[in-house]
Amino acid sequence: MYHLALKMLLGDRAKFVMLVGGLTFATLLMTQQAAVFFGLLTWTTSHMRNMRAKLWVVDRKVEQANELKALRDTDVNRVRSAPGVAWAVPVYMTIQSAKLADGNFKPVQLVGLDNTTLIGRPPVILQGRLEDVRLPNAVILDELGVKRLSAGRAKPLGLGDTFELNDKEARIVAICRADRHFFGYPYTYATYTQALQFAPKQRKMLSLVLAEPAPGWTLAAAASSIEAETGMKAYTEDELFWSTIWWYFRNTGIPVAFMSIILLGLIVGTTISGQTFYAFVHENLRHLGALKAMGASNGLLARMLLVQSLTVGFLGYGLGALMVTAFGRSVLARGEPPFMMPWQLPVGTFLAVMGICCLSALLGIRKVWNIEPAIVFRG
Amino acid sequence: MQASTQLAVHIRAVTKTFGTGEAAVRALKGVDFDARQGELLMIVGPSGCGKTTLLSVIAGTLDFEAGEVEVFGSSLHGMKPREVTEFRKRHVGFIFQQFNLIPTLTLIENVCVPLLINGTGWRIAEQKATAILDRLGLQGRGHELPRNLSGGQQQRVAIARALVHEPRLVICDEPTSALDKDTGALIMELLRDIARHPDRTVIVVTHDNRIFKHADRLTEMEDGRVQRVHDQAGNSGENGGSSLFPPSPKLIT
Repeated sequence: MYHLALKMLLGDRAKFVMLVGGLTFATLLMTQQAAVFFGLLTWTTSHMRNMRAKLWVVDRKVEQANELKALRDTDVNRVRSAPGVAWAVPVYMTIQSAKLADGNFKPVQLVGLDNTTLIGRPPVILQGRLEDVRLPNAVILDELGVKRLSAGRAKPLGLGDTFELNDKEARIVAICRADRHFFGYPYTYATYTQALQFAPKQRKMLSLVLAEPAPGWTLAAAASSIEAETGMKAYTEDELFWSTIWWYFRNTGIPVAFMSIILLGLIVGTTISGQTFYAFVHENLRHLGALKAMGASNGLLARMLLVQSLTVGFLGYGLGALMVTAFGRSVLARGEPPFMMPWQLPVGTFLAVMGICCLSALLGIRKVWNIEPAIVFRG
Repeated sequence: MQASTQLAVHIRAVTKTFGTGEAAVRALKGVDFDARQGELLMIVGPSGCGKTTLLSVIAGTLDFEAGEVEVFGSSLHGMKPREVTEFRKRHVGFIFQQFNLIPTLTLIENVCVPLLINGTGWRIAEQKATAILDRLGLQGRGHELPRNLSGGQQQRVAIARALVHEPRLVICDEPTSALDKDTGALIMELLRDIARHPDRTVIVVTHDNRIFKHADRLTEMEDGRVQRVHDQAGNSGENGGSSLFPPSPKLIT
């Protein structure tokens, strides 16, 4: 009976298209917006993926990775002296202005790495040598920086080219690939000493300390030891990640804005699907009544309606997911807007769409359940 | 008891009321009714007299309040809803006034429906549907949609659907009202042939006095009760009255 149920649905082209279209739209809206939201949240923790350290030591008031409060220069030694610390290195982070060839300015995220170890270095060097960053005035620029800072030039910036960073000459010795900054600023790496030269002098210049636990110490134990010894906040990588994410949930309207759109997708999908499917059932009530008269049980009719509803759900979800994938591929190639689709997202959307379909079918089932088969004898 | 088993349908003192309070309408007021195996019986009477309600009760598609309904020896009164559904599925075939063919399904698919409901596999159902369509003069048209057929052809498909699972009771609600005279006569000839099967009973509700001649017996209803039963021999039951069979046609409205 189920293939006949599908033929009944496919025969009503207008409603079939409306159902599939509504569910495609709902899938697209929910998945795409959620993927952009997750992408944006991922951008908030880009420092962590770009620097990759097990322990992040910051001022005790710091709650998230993008809002650092400067430490005293001597704090790095206090961390090194804490029990359970294998090593600790200073990192300087600041937003500075880079001057373009056309006279405009672009902000960049300047990262000063430990002179000796270069811990916190960019994950992928595309051109040049990492070690050359120790040369005078040397910087490593990420791909986005090359694109942004090349504005007004005859050809894109490359190795050996210079640009003005906070009124000082910076020479590009390497080009790297880095995760996108939450504010969209390019990453520019220099040694710690060189970075302090680029930036205006301030009383406190140390942004954070990256550290690793000594052998035999767990992350949690080493972090507790640092906190007890220095009075600073020591985050494990995982703790800082979630602290940053939740900070944005608590302190910005971003989650509410995205959730509203995702909810809208769910409501629109449910409304279109529910209303159209109900209309389909209503128009076919006489035929369904005839089937009931012929001996089709309520259970069989309910399963037929579920098959119809879930089939359009599969189609709508498939088309929607395909469109989101195409969107994702195009934006990932461009680098923006943010986009991240963990496997849980399509699974979640799939379940939401199936939920919509079940709800739609339920409206129809309720109607069919209550009709008397004798309806077919009425004029 | 002996008579009951020889009867296809045996109804005594059945009542049915629609609505409650002042809006209540008593559609059946203690109906007594019998239909024999191997006969074509028509239920006739003016609009609102309870014909369709009685047909629905016989078919097991409508509950009744009081009385006794036995179809092929099975009492519908004691059956659970699921058992009534199972009974309809196996033993009752339906022919509707407006054919009620599903417009998006082919003729074969429409005819297959009762078999599929009964759990027959698609391949066998398709073979049986094709065979019965062929028998009813619709050879080679099984893959067409109902909209491509005339009213008479559609009603033949509906008859095929009603018979394909070989039910013992065939219920027909105004089977000729949507058809012209000649086509109606052809359809009634078909139903007449179907009723010749000794183990089968065809019950037809109709207004159309042109087809009365095809009936073995006529049950005349009025105001929720059976008034008279006429047979081809001219007998009109215990209440008497003039026969409704030709040559004394009487238009019932």
